[in-house]
Amino acid sequence: MTDLLIIGAGLSGLLAGVWARRQGLRTRIAATGLGATHWHAGTIDALGYLPGEDAPVRSPFAALTRLTAARPGHPYALTGEAGLREALAAFRTLLEKLGLPYGGAANPDENLLLPSPAGAPRPVYLAPAAQLAGDMSRPEPYLVVGFQALRDFYPTVIAENLTKLGFRARAEFLPIELITDRRDFSTIDLARAMDSADLSRLANALKRVAAPGERIGLPAILGLRRHGQILAALSEAVGAPIFEIPTLPPSVPGLRLTTVLREHFERDLHGRLDLGMTVTDFHAEAGRVTWVASRASARPVRHRARRFLLATGGILGGGFHSEPRGRVWETIFDLPLTAPQKRSQWFRPDFLAPEGHPVFRGGVRVGPDFRPLTLAGEPAFENLWAAGNLLADSDPISERSLEGVAIATARAAVTSLINTDV
Amino acid sequence: MRAIETEILVIGGGVTGVGVAWDAALRGFDVILVERRDLAHGTSGRFHGLLHSGGRYVVKDPVSARECIHENRILRRTHAHCIEDTGGFFVVTPEDEDSDYPDRFVQACAETGVPCQEMAVSQALRREPRLNPRISRVFRVPDASVDGFQLTHATAQAARQAGARIFTYHQVTDLLVAGGEGDVRVVGARVFDAVRAEEMEIRAAMVINAAGAWAGRIAGMVGSRVDIVPGKGVMIATAHRLVNTVINRCKWPSDGDILVPAHTVSIIGTTDVPVADPEDLRIEEWEIRKMLAEGEKLIPGFARTRILRAWAGVRPLYRESAVTDDRDISRKFTLLDHQERDGVAGFITITGGKLTTFRLMAEKTVDRAAAHLGPRRPCITAETPVPGAEHGPYWLGHRLREVEDGRLQNQLICECELVTRGMLESAARLNPTVTLDDLRRDVRLGMGPCQGGFCTYRAVGVIHELKLGHGVTPDTEGSDWRVADLQSPAGNPGRGRPPVSGPEPVSSLADHLYDPNLLLRDFLQERWKGVVPIVWGQQLKQEQLDRLIYLSIMNVDHLPDAGLKSPLSDFYGVDVTPNDVLEEPHD
Ligand SMILES: Cc1cc2nc3c(=O)[nH]c(=O)nc-3n(C[C@H](O)[C@H](O)[C@H](O)COP(=O)(O)OP(=O)(O)OC[C@H]3O[C@@H](n4cnc5c(N)ncnc54)[C@H](O)[C@@H]3O)c2cc1C
Ligand SMILES: Cc1cc2nc3c(=O)[nH]c(=O)nc-3n(C[C@H](O)[C@H](O)[C@H](O)COP(=O)(O)OP(=O)(O)OC[C@H]3O[C@@H](n4cnc5c(N)ncnc54)[C@H](O)[C@@H]3O)c2cc1C
Repeated sequence: MTDLLIIGAGLSGLLAGVWARRQGLRTRIAATGLGATHWHAGTIDALGYLPGEDAPVRSPFAALTRLTAARPGHPYALTGEAGLREALAAFRTLLEKLGLPYGGAANPDENLLLPSPAGAPRPVYLAPAAQLAGDMSRPEPYLVVGFQALRDFYPTVIAENLTKLGFRARAEFLPIELITDRRDFSTIDLARAMDSADLSRLANALKRVAAPGERIGLPAILGLRRHGQILAALSEAVGAPIFEIPTLPPSVPGLRLTTVLREHFERDLHGRLDLGMTVTDFHAEAGRVTWVASRASARPVRHRARRFLLATGGILGGGFHSEPRGRVWETIFDLPLTAPQKRSQWFRPDFLAPEGHPVFRGGVRVGPDFRPLTLAGEPAFENLWAAGNLLADSDPISERSLEGVAIATARAAVTSLINTDV
Repeated sequence: MRAIETEILVIGGGVTGVGVAWDAALRGFDVILVERRDLAHGTSGRFHGLLHSGGRYVVKDPVSARECIHENRILRRTHAHCIEDTGGFFVVTPEDEDSDYPDRFVQACAETGVPCQEMAVSQALRREPRLNPRISRVFRVPDASVDGFQLTHATAQAARQAGARIFTYHQVTDLLVAGGEGDVRVVGARVFDAVRAEEMEIRAAMVINAAGAWAGRIAGMVGSRVDIVPGKGVMIATAHRLVNTVINRCKWPSDGDILVPAHTVSIIGTTDVPVADPEDLRIEEWEIRKMLAEGEKLIPGFARTRILRAWAGVRPLYRESAVTDDRDISRKFTLLDHQERDGVAGFITITGGKLTTFRLMAEKTVDRAAAHLGPRRPCITAETPVPGAEHGPYWLGHRLREVEDGRLQNQLICECELVTRGMLESAARLNPTVTLDDLRRDVRLGMGPCQGGFCTYRAVGVIHELKLGHGVTPDTEGSDWRVADLQSPAGNPGRGRPPVSGPEPVSSLADHLYDPNLLLRDFLQERWKGVVPIVWGQQLKQEQLDRLIYLSIMNVDHLPDAGLKSPLSDFYGVDVTPNDVLEEPHD
């Protein structure tokens, strides 16, 4: 019998899988796909902006009280500062061990600022080692190097904006033939090609365009399997700090992150992961979920487990659906959502509205033990937990808290479900 | 103040205005056209996309029907590449079975010369399997699908080649008059150049008002009364091409009764609501619901299909006397010679009509102008193909073939619409670009399912590199691409004319043209504005992905130059959040 069935394989689902498995639970993950991580930048954003405020958050931990004052039901109000700190530290330790080290600002309380693919400062709490030399508090001038044949990265835009922001920055182009002879490729194809490319040619070309003292920003394509070696070898050969800047999705840094977690779960921890498995239905008896069903080719397949963790990621992850009249619903258990149920209340006039759009902040309300609640405030089911970006009262995209919320709530939910007898 | 001269000044860069400029230039007149925004930014870029066979009007307005079929045949030759020969069906759905309209329709087609053939329902269903199987009769007519953006641009290009000068982002703020009491004469216009932020005067022997739904405002500048009743119509585009044939309901014309295939989508429309102001393009919830419900009658399941976008246009309907239902106001065009009508010489208004009849409207208008200015060469637009027509009729696989052939610089910038880097670069070189929306009208950038999610950043990057001299396609014109030149009359000379010089511009948008951050913000907001009325389900997820890209990855809301605005930033910023008006108002 499965001890824990996790629905969703985004960052929260995968991490919950890893942590539950390490506690000895027979754990299984069922999901349609791998969630938003491989779309994102590969960084760990904990809290970058407070609702409606323009200045980036310096310390996510120091800002928590103000965040939860504005949004009392925010997931961070449930994990607390200690929970958030502990989960982020656990994540960092885990990734160090998995060979994809993450680092942060010199002061562990604070965010880093890293250049975005548009040249704006991104407030992130942890970044893959490959992005760290982009840190805007470092003194070296920026040289942003791109490839005109790569349509997902524009160095001149980055350099111009960095310059306007007061940094010394310039852009250069190199021929893509240094990496591949193909004509049509994605960032992922390029990263694969890098794994087997002759680095000395690229290093020589970089040396030719770089001026002494510059740090070199490249699109995030520096290898998949051999990423660590490539970064080290290239920096050494060029003799300058080299760092990656995220690109348009799909994201190579995001793919590296999901890949190491997935492989760890499946290979090292012998967990079972079923992708392409969309859960559509469930059955409950006496307040307990007994099974969930997934759509297979012919007839629905039932999956039984002692405990269930819902980590389907809200609107972006596909966990919620919506219709023209304005109803928004959770697709499996039809859990009550806090989302406004009239379309006239979903949006604000500006796409970039600093407060975000109300519809994207609506989600599943959970108790302090991360079990979803009914409208009356009781746990909906004895053995159902929820974690990640489907939780109510957080707009992770406006807040830049996507990974922080996923990591902290996954950790808290696993702790809670292990400590609950079912 | 800068002042330039011409013989004919055309106001309005919709299809009517560019048609007039084209015709007049071909006849040998010296022509300037001014458009306050981009070409086809008005009704010509917010219409339904149907090249009428005339079928819709045979019963109600036989004159219009005759004009339509006449022009339909001509445009298939002169503007072949803007037209897809889809053919059209008039279908009788169960709702309309008991009416005598179908028989009257057949009779009227015969009388007006609109070719019409009844065909077996089974045969129609084989051709259009998604069509409601319960339809009882089907008639086939030569309707077609027409790309109004391309048609307007190609006609403008033809006008330029014939010597016309076309200035976009130039708004007429007043008409210049001479003479007095009883002997008033329009001698030109005062024009605001929105890019250089400066005023100029354009003096002309004849001013032609082709400002569409805004024509009343222009005429009002010299005290001539022209009553235009703006009739707003809403259209929505589905994410898929549901039909390959234009589908009309065979009944008295009404709301939501036509479905037009256009490129990779299909468009249902429209409503017809009188509005006070031609800028009032707001879409009500009931209009969307009505379109979905009417679509369902033609295509079962329509209401559940993924919707890409909604927009509204205003019909420039001219009111001769008080009429209550504005669908009864004439769809025929209106040509007013103000010298005869109100004693104001040197001034003609052309408005109303249809996109399908724009060439005919232009011909009649220039005939009138020639009657005053002295005749030149005869009208030859009916025999003169515009640039691009040599490619032959449009077909759906056209772009895919070009891209696969690698004949264009083939890096795909917009995957949904197959827009390549080469296409973007040459469009930017050919037509002045103030916002990416201008390029959208040229090459369909951002018109696919992701509504700009991926291509906005890419297009900004491509334009920025082009600006810095890193273009990847050769500049066929052989000239340097200089930003400031694009907008000014000096940089846009008609062939064979010396460039006009004027004082240096004051500080203006010209200094910030192609600012990547402004381009980004404007286009994201422009695309957002048109999806909000129809965003739910799958498209809501898409919008959240677009937010992930632009807020979380790019952080574009924290880029420099936050205060910078283009002439359209405020227009894009209008509040379009859905309202709760669920029922159609009845009065
Ligand atoms: C909902 C709807 C659906 C339609 N569907 C069809 C169809 O399927 N088939 C068809 O044949 N016809 C259709 N029509 C009709 C057709 O779209 C119009 O008749 C045609 O586009 C009008 O073109 P225009 O050039 O006269 O006006 P516009 O395209 O509106 O051009 C007028 C221009 O004048 C400019 N202007 C205004 N004021 C100033 C100023 N002060 N200075 C400078 N410029 C100024 C405006 O910016 C605008 O670009 C439809 C119309 C509507 C509203
Ligand atoms: C033949 C044809 C085919 C098309 N095919 C496609 C396609 O395949 N894919 C696609 O994406 N689009 C398609 N479009 C639509 C196109 O993308 C634009 O929507 C259209 O050109 C109008 O431009 P806009 O959206 O900028 O209009 P806008 O006028 O900016 O309209 C956007 C929204 O704002 C609202 N609005 C405008 N003004 C006001 C106001 N004053 N107050 C309140 N609300 C306002 C409108 O109602 C609308 O909902 C097509 C258009 C045509 C004519």
